Amino acid sequence: MVKVAIYPPNSLVLGDLIERKGHTVLALQKAMSKKVRDPEIDSPPMNITEEDPLKGLKYAAIEVPSGVRGRMSVIGPLIDEAEAAIIVDDAPIGFGCIGCARTNELTMFCLRKKDIPKLELEYPTNRDETFDFVGKINKFLDTLDEEGGN
Amino acid sequence: MSANLAISPKLSKEELDPDFTIRMIILGPKANVSENEIVSHMHLLDLPITVKWTCYGAMVSGKEEDVMVAINEVRKLDPYNIFTKSRGFPPGDPRRCRGHRYGPREGFHQMEAEYRILGDVGDALKNPKDVLIEKPKPVDVDELVEIVKESVENDDS
Repeated sequence: MVKVAIYPPNSLVLGDLIERKGHTVLALQKAMSKKVRDPEIDSPPMNITEEDPLKGLKYAAIEVPSGVRGRMSVIGPLIDEAEAAIIVDDAPIGFGCIGCARTNELTMFCLRKKDIPKLELEYPTNRDETFDFVGKINKFLDTLDEEGGN
Repeated sequence: MSANLAISPKLSKEELDPDFTIRMIILGPKANVSENEIVSHMHLLDLPITVKWTCYGAMVSGKEEDVMVAINEVRKLDPYNIFTKSRGFPPGDPRRCRGHRYGPREGFHQMEAEYRILGDVGDALKNPKDVLIEKPKPVDVDELVEIVKESVENDDS
């Protein structure tokens, strides 16, 4: 079982395909779930703790907008944990936590520079491309089984 | 007076447990089961979970091991058209519930965007096949110059 990071980090299709193959998906929702249900953090709605800016500074410099550092404090630890990655370019998804283009660029950069098995695809726009998309992801996940994530 | 969109939630002891998991079950457009069927099926499993019937399928929450058992069981009803995704906020959380936000939560728009390819994803899982995709190539520069010259000549004449 390999921990697979995904981009977009909250994708339904990618998360589902990875879990079908028995791997662990490093989804953004799981990280957010811990934050929004933490009794230590005062609501509303998702206040940060003093540790979060420090975590964010590991991935982005102090001059970088605070929104990027705040988002990276959640997404960054997922990238650190990753043993494999699937990156989807041109995904028509940019809502909520991932609605920041600069964070998305930084996330993809961090995933690309990491020395782990990676699969980079384009988001499908028609039926044939979807078949190709699913086939490539499944083949990649099967190779992870053989390699054991190395 | 503007609406309060940042309401403090009153989470239960169970919801504050780190082992508490929330999953969404999303039916693809070609699903052979209804939302009603999957909700009834999960209730019949007699597991200590909370099931909420939603427009996209169902939302199930509880201890991770129980939720995963329920998901694996419900997936058997239509393995290629039932998709699942984890969710951050507990069901009915006022910070995300549309009843308090005066509109759909952000995650709903994302689900709507990805829902468009779910039917083809289900087909690809059921009948995988290798597809050759030819991407359109950019027009050659010499060819473009020829086309421009031809159109200029046609305009002149």
